[in-house]
Amino acid sequence: MPSPHSSGSAVNLEGVSKAYGRIKARNGLTFNVGEGQFFVLFGPSSVGKTTTLRTISGLVIPDEGRVALHGLDVTRAPINSRGVSMVFQSFALYPHLTVYENFAYPLREAKIARPEIDKRVKETAEMLRLAHRLDRKPNTLSGGEQQRVALGRSLIRRPQILLLDEPLTNLDAKLRHDMRAELKRLHRQFGMTIIYATPDELEALSMGEEIAVMRDGRVAQKGTPDELYEAPADVYVASKIGAPHMNLIEATVTENGNVLKTGFGSFDLDRKVAARAGDKVVMGVRPSDLEIAPTKSADLSASVQLLEPLGDVTIVSLGEKADNLRILLPESRASEIKLGDKLPIKVDARTPTA
Amino acid sequence: MAEATTTFWERLGLRKASGVGEAGWGQTLFAAVISLIYFLPVLLFIVTSFKLQTEALAVPPKFFPTSFFGLILDQYIFSPTLANFTSVFSRAYTAGAAAESTGFDRFFFNSIFIASTSVLLALVIGTLAAYGFSRYPLRGNDTYLFIILTTRMLPAIVVIIPVILMFRVAGLAGSYPGIIFLYTAFNLPFTIWMMKSFFDELSPDVEDAARIDGSSETRVFFKICLPQVLAGLAATFVFGLILTWNEFLFALLLTGVDTRTVPVALNQAVAGGGIGVLWGLLAAIETLFLIPVFLVTFFLQNQLLRGVTFGTVKR
Repeated sequence: MPSPHSSGSAVNLEGVSKAYGRIKARNGLTFNVGEGQFFVLFGPSSVGKTTTLRTISGLVIPDEGRVALHGLDVTRAPINSRGVSMVFQSFALYPHLTVYENFAYPLREAKIARPEIDKRVKETAEMLRLAHRLDRKPNTLSGGEQQRVALGRSLIRRPQILLLDEPLTNLDAKLRHDMRAELKRLHRQFGMTIIYATPDELEALSMGEEIAVMRDGRVAQKGTPDELYEAPADVYVASKIGAPHMNLIEATVTENGNVLKTGFGSFDLDRKVAARAGDKVVMGVRPSDLEIAPTKSADLSASVQLLEPLGDVTIVSLGEKADNLRILLPESRASEIKLGDKLPIKVDARTPTA
Repeated sequence: MAEATTTFWERLGLRKASGVGEAGWGQTLFAAVISLIYFLPVLLFIVTSFKLQTEALAVPPKFFPTSFFGLILDQYIFSPTLANFTSVFSRAYTAGAAAESTGFDRFFFNSIFIASTSVLLALVIGTLAAYGFSRYPLRGNDTYLFIILTTRMLPAIVVIIPVILMFRVAGLAGSYPGIIFLYTAFNLPFTIWMMKSFFDELSPDVEDAARIDGSSETRVFFKICLPQVLAGLAATFVFGLILTWNEFLFALLLTGVDTRTVPVALNQAVAGGGIGVLWGLLAAIETLFLIPVFLVTFFLQNQLLRGVTFGTVKR
């Protein structure tokens, strides 16, 4: 696909490949990130997210393909000419330097005058609530503070592009929530392009303006959170996005081409699927799109195997032999259900993706 | 450093230190007795260095310089003297003759100069090499490292003849550069292995962060990596210094009259003469010889402890 080198594109990767020995970390990776966008690279670990970020930053030179920033080819350009900064998963703070010196380091390397450095270090510390920690060494700080130092060190140069490599993975749940809000605030405040790698779908959906789901070093699908949720391109994306995970049921297409036979019974589609009669297909249904039906209008039925109350909703797992189906029910409905009950299920008609 | 809050008394075990796994009185006493047994030879020659020849030869040995307020029997008490220390540097070789210089000031200078120069040189070369081995592995990196170490697997006596021949041909025998180069080579394998393990412990992310922050490779090394392995440098320096300081065989065969080191001179000072071993003098030389290494180790001990326990605790 020829990419448009419009001025609106902050980062553009085209057919980028990198092999480590015989293992291909990325395989013809192509994607485009708009100027000022909060872009999320989403995928399980070792899918090539980190290597992708390292390629954009210039730490890794790809074997094939090209990297363009703001429309300029930088595939082989030196790291410090790119205006890119990066927060590492491990934070990668300079352990022998104080917080002040950690902040000042990028500015010193850029040969900025001492009074200006001092001013900006103090501003940054103020902004990240670290003013009282400036004389400390990183190993005496809490995880959240270390994270903010790492962020501050990246922001202090005012980069046009900020790369975040699973920045919240090493924090506990409460801090992670606070930092999500903090990152969004910083994005609004500075308006730089952010590329954020994460294996956490909740982070991906809640933070990304646009998300690229990665698989085997390629982009499996790219879109807004809504697009990915409502119209996953394939089973892989469908199974990765959304919590609880989408129900993926093996089914057989019957003669008409609009009826699916599953382990829970037959199901009428309101449109034809792109498969011929007798084909095996996978049907995906969101747990939230299933509900308990009045007996007569039931599409499927199955017995209750597991109840997982989550507060105001409950995940009900239904099973019939090897097949498994999860429904998300409001707490009021779920409280009447007992293990072993046979439930009639209605499928919200707009959903199924085959 | 925040953790160095134990007091002198706590370290002696005379006051309770807080924390788990604290040694009880019995254990402390046991450790003290064992330590004393190991330290006894050193203590013995330090004491001997203050004795005159007759007292040094006395049986049973006279251990104590004072009676400790009458606690010690007279026969175990000697009268301490500094005569041995002055005669290290100048003494009369025959009875009644005028005192002349023994040259030991020169030998001490040689030992200090040769050992520190060669250990520092090995540290500079070895640290750079170790960084290379750690960060830019060659094809067959481990084989190279192994080969480097094989040079230290043979006892010195096995390689001494070829080494002497090489030094003769190169005209390096008896010169400062000769023995310094030899000791540098002698220290390099150990330095490379030590420093490589320190560099291996560093997080590569930290270096990448510095690259993204705009540092050149040179500055990554000097500003980021080197400061993180200071403890390792100190530990390697001290171990190398002790090895080199005490080296005898190569020094015996490859130093000349002007470049002689203390271990060699010591041997010659007490072995020659035909009047038996002057124990007091020998002990005095040894005591003086102990001081420089003792001081270096003492002043670097905090770094040293961090160095040898490096990587055993998650930072």
